[in-house]
Order: sequence, then C-alpha cells, then structure tokens
Amino acid sequence: MTEAVRNPRLHALGAASIELAEIVGGMGVLLARILVRIHKFDGEELVKNLYKMAVKSLPIVAVTALFTGAIMVIQAAVIVKRFNAEGLLGWGAGFGTLREIAPLLTALMISGRVGANNTAELGTMVVTEQIDALRVLAIDPIAFLIVPRFIAILATLVMMTLFADALALFGAAYTGQGLLGVEPMTFFNGLTGGLLDFGDVFNGLFKSFVFAFVMALASCHFGLATKGGAPGVGRAVNASVVASAAGIFVLDYLVSFLG
Amino acid sequence: MIRIEKLGKTFRVGEGKTNTVLRDINLEVPKGCLYGLIGPGAAGKSVLLKMLTGLLRPDVGRIVIDDVDVTQSSEIALQDLRKRIGFLFQNYALFDSMTVADNIAFPLRRLIDPPEAEVQARVVERLKAVALAGFGDRLPAGLSGGQKKRVGVARATITNAPIVLYDEPAAGLDPVTSQKIFELLRAEQQASGATVIMVSSDLDRMLTVTDRVGMMHQGRLIFDGTTAEAQASTNPYVRQFVHGLVDGPL
Repeated sequence: MTEAVRNPRLHALGAASIELAEIVGGMGVLLARILVRIHKFDGEELVKNLYKMAVKSLPIVAVTALFTGAIMVIQAAVIVKRFNAEGLLGWGAGFGTLREIAPLLTALMISGRVGANNTAELGTMVVTEQIDALRVLAIDPIAFLIVPRFIAILATLVMMTLFADALALFGAAYTGQGLLGVEPMTFFNGLTGGLLDFGDVFNGLFKSFVFAFVMALASCHFGLATKGGAPGVGRAVNASVVASAAGIFVLDYLVSFLG
Repeated sequence: MIRIEKLGKTFRVGEGKTNTVLRDINLEVPKGCLYGLIGPGAAGKSVLLKMLTGLLRPDVGRIVIDDVDVTQSSEIALQDLRKRIGFLFQNYALFDSMTVADNIAFPLRRLIDPPEAEVQARVVERLKAVALAGFGDRLPAGLSGGQKKRVGVARATITNAPIVLYDEPAAGLDPVTSQKIFELLRAEQQASGATVIMVSSDLDRMLTVTDRVGMMHQGRLIFDGTTAEAQASTNPYVRQFVHGLVDGPL
C-alpha cells in the first residue's frame, strides 16, 4: 500500500493538486485554441454577445458606479472637512476611482452578471448536446461560440470600466456638492490640476483588460468542462465565479504592485 | 458504405471502475440501405452512432465511411465528412437561443448557403413534413418533447445529406405521428438514396421501413440481417426483443 493511500490527507492533497493542474492546463489549452482561431470568429455571434453582455449591463454598471463615487466622497468627507482640503476632493476621488475602485467593482459586477451567465449558457449547451450538435454540423464550436464570447467579454469590461469611471466621478462630484458644499468645478479642477493624468486612466483600463482576460477564460473553460446535467451546470457556474473573483484579486495585487 | 471493424469502447465511471459499452463490433451498412439498430437500453447503440460521426473515439477498431477512416481523422479532417451527415440526437440538441425555423435552417445556411428565399421555402416545407406548420417562430423551450423531436428530424433532413443517423426519431410521439415520421423518413431515404442508420425502441413501426436490422446486447452486435430474417430469427435474444416476449433471456 502506498503512503498516499494510507494517509487520507496526503491523498486529498494529491487529488486537489491534480484537479488544479487539470484546471490550469485546461485553461491553457483553451487559450491556445482561442488564439489559433482568433481571426475567424463569427461576426454575428460577436455582435449578439456584445449586445447581451455590454448593452444589457449598462444599468447595473451605472448604478454601481454612481454609488461607488458617492461612497468615496462620504468616506473622505470627515478628513476633507477636518483639514479644509476641499480642493483635493477631486484628486482623492479620482485617484481611487480610476486606478482601483472602478476597474475592480466593475469587474466583479460583470463577473457576476456576464461571466456566470456565460458559464451557465455554455454548460447547458454541453449537457444538452448542443455543442456536439455544432460539431456534427461541421461547425467548430471554439470559432463559432467561444472566440466571439472571449472578445465580447474583453471589450465589454474595458468599455464598462470607462463608462464606470465617468459615472463614478459624476456621482462623486455631485455628492461632494450636496454633502460638503464643494462645487463641481472645484472638484473638476482637483481632478485635472496635474496630480492625475491619463496614465491613471490607462492603469485602470489595463487592469480591466487583465481582469476580463481571466474572467473570459475561466467562464468559457468551466462552461465547456461541465459534466453531470443540471447540477453540473450549477457547480460549473460556482467554480467559474470563484475562480474569476480570486483571479481578479490576485491580478489586481500584481498589477498594482508592478504599476 | 459504412464499415465498422472490431470496434471497442470502455468508459471510466469512477475510481478504478470501468464500463465496457462496445465489444468487438463488426458491421457493414451498404450504400442506400435503411439500417435499423435495435436492442435493450444501455446496449451501446447511441455510443455507436456518435462514433460514426467522430464525436466519440473508440479504444480499438476502426470505422470507415466512404473511404474516410473516421477513427484516425483529426477534428478538422472530419469536418468534410460531417458536412455529408445528418444527425438526430436522442435528446434533440436544439439550439435554445434560436427559433424553430432558425434551428431547422441552421445546417442549410452554414453548410450550403443558398439564397434566403430558398432557405425559407425549404424550412416551410420541412415544418409541413413533420406536421409543425406555423411553429417556425416559436422557441424550443415552448415545445413539447415530441415536437422538439420532430424539429430535430426536420433539421437532420434539411440538407438531403447522403448519410443520415437517427437516434430514436419517434421517441415521445403518439402512434399515428410516429408511423408518419417513419414513413416520411423512408420516403425521403428512397428519394435521395441516402444511407440511413436508425436507432429506435418503436420496433413495430421501425421494422416496417428498414431494409436490414442489427441487434445489440451488452455492447455486442448479436444479430445482423434483413428485416425479414430478424422477424423470423430463432436467436432467443432477437426473438424475445423483436416480438416483445416477456419470457426469455433478456
């Protein structure tokens, strides 16, 4: 009898390591298959997915962004008042929003709405043999289904982050006016007074691109790897959301640290 | 011509457990033949159909369709062969996001791409053939199981593919519609000269249209002959299954 069989903990550790290797390896293979077919995606599917993922996410992103901007000002209000630093409100809200809060919260919102939905759709297509039906019809499911979704998620998150940046700052400016009496123009001057530049916007957009990459890969991988009928779809969605969120936080740390 | 040689397949079903679903299958289906594949549940019939299209790969043996070795071909190489195959899945496999009409038109648009007016006319004709005229705008979620099956039949037959594989084309249908579907499939097969392999549990009706019959049991092909030979067979398994007898080895 081997040591692993005698020791259940060692056995569990081995099984978990194999599972992790399967997930990482599976994502690597899927990424390679996507990149090979990136030039021959189905345009109609891309437009359909952009509408479903981006346009339909606008309301929830708008609400999240407006309140996020407002919360930033509420949290800063005590310090701003104590030091009479109204002129720095625009910079403070802008710095946090553009570089961190807008990309991160938008990614988490899109992960919950778009990533989970993408996994559920693909998982359902797997268990109801729709993916096999595509293959039998001589249609490559990666080029037809996955590549458009991958591109759509990348485009959606970057666009939504830009949209969230603008709305969060709008929310912050008017909350600053209502709560602290800081005029929107003062807020705007703080934002554009030289302490912030487009590098801060690009930093946030780069983060959102990285987050979208991990989210798209995880949601497509777990969707395509679905097994075991309806319960399997539930497990796949759960795994996809957890992997995406964990990936987003780890990558956020790395990009923040390096950038 | 479809030729199957010494085909075998075993699935892993858990830690250290396996399930052999196909054992040493040898079979030839001549061109233009309507072949019925029968057998009790879990005999390996659906797995065999999927292997014919390359959706599943065997562990041993090979399948040759019109000189193409399905078992050795890459996924890309198989695409040319699949363009010549119509397939009805046991669980329909309709695309949820498309209407009934778009589901049926999908292979035609993708594989042949004729003018849209021709696509529409062909879809209307197919819907009428499977007694679903007027259902084109509905989504699959709004159909009964039998209706979904008929949409699947319409989709499998719209391109007039030279090889058509049906997995339970009449499951869930009432007796009258079931007979109509079998007669429709037979008429179309005779008109096009297609090679058809059909898996069905509705033996009474299927055996009225097949040229040849094969019976599978526990992963083995235990009978291969004409429909008349199947009906007159003295093989106790075939006799019991074909005549629906309670007493017997099954």
